[in-house]
Amino acid sequence: MTTAEKMELLAETLEVETDEISEDTALTDLDNWDSMTKLSLIVMFDDEFGKKITSEDIKKMVTVKDILDLME
Amino acid sequence: MYNIVDLTGRQILITGASSGMGRETAILCSKLGAKVVLVARNEVRLQEAMSNLEGDGHAYYSFDLSKVDEIEDFIKMVVSERGAMDGFVHSAGVGSTRPLKLLKPAALREVMEINYFSFVEIIRCLMKKNAYNEGMSIVGISSISSKQGNQTKTAYCASKSAMDASVRCLAKELADKKVRVNAVNPALIKTEIYQQFLNNSGESEDAKNIMQRQYLGIGEPIDVANMIVYLLSDAAKFITGSCVDIDGGRLSS
Repeated sequence: MTTAEKMELLAETLEVETDEISEDTALTDLDNWDSMTKLSLIVMFDDEFGKKITSEDIKKMVTVKDILDLME
Repeated sequence: MYNIVDLTGRQILITGASSGMGRETAILCSKLGAKVVLVARNEVRLQEAMSNLEGDGHAYYSFDLSKVDEIEDFIKMVVSERGAMDGFVHSAGVGSTRPLKLLKPAALREVMEINYFSFVEIIRCLMKKNAYNEGMSIVGISSISSKQGNQTKTAYCASKSAMDASVRCLAKELADKKVRVNAVNPALIKTEIYQQFLNNSGESEDAKNIMQRQYLGIGEPIDVANMIVYLLSDAAKFITGSCVDIDGGRLSS
């Protein structure tokens, strides 16, 4: 998956437009960085990458890049 | 000593028998004299569960219940090798925590197939001639989620509500054949699904509220197994079409 494709998938999961986020975007700056969005992220990782991430993993994520790095 | 839940000589088919409540039920049934037939996907864990059974005459089969269309041949084979059943416990089940936007038909179907379709299909196949003995008792492991909704739990709650509804219908339909059908509805019990819940939402406000309401704490698999063996036994001969809550007080608060 290319970086652009990852950004598109992530934007869909976070329910934002792709041009609203960049690698440096702080997750806490997103309006809807709430428990439902975090859960969506867990399910997306399982569906798209076969990866089981936990709420502990999400706690360590600070920027969009932290998520992108795990998307492989 | 008089034992009201004596299961001596009864043959009980148990799905999801390699872990959690299914495994605990299998062990308890064996202690009460039953011959148990364990079904689950993972052969290694099935063997481990088998090694904990008391008595002899038990058997295990590795089978993936999501292959609903293959259940008919599978049950035929089990019955031809083991003989008729006196009880069936459906403990196989998967948890599902999905926001609506990620609840595509494939995800919904997977949960329904394992938690619900396989339950009805196994009963359908067991109701054939020589596959069951008069007095058979069927117990589905449902959940209080069948009665309480929660965000992201659409598939799981629906699968359990479907089981409850089927229990009421099948109990009436099979009464003439002297077969009883019931469900047990546990709240949070220490199983893998509970661990999933902790991983996904363990620290949410919602999780804290749930734990406050379930004021006897987290249940143990044996708490559910105890009720299941009662429903399997003749002591429960007047109970059919019931969905019994085992919830540490949760629905009362």
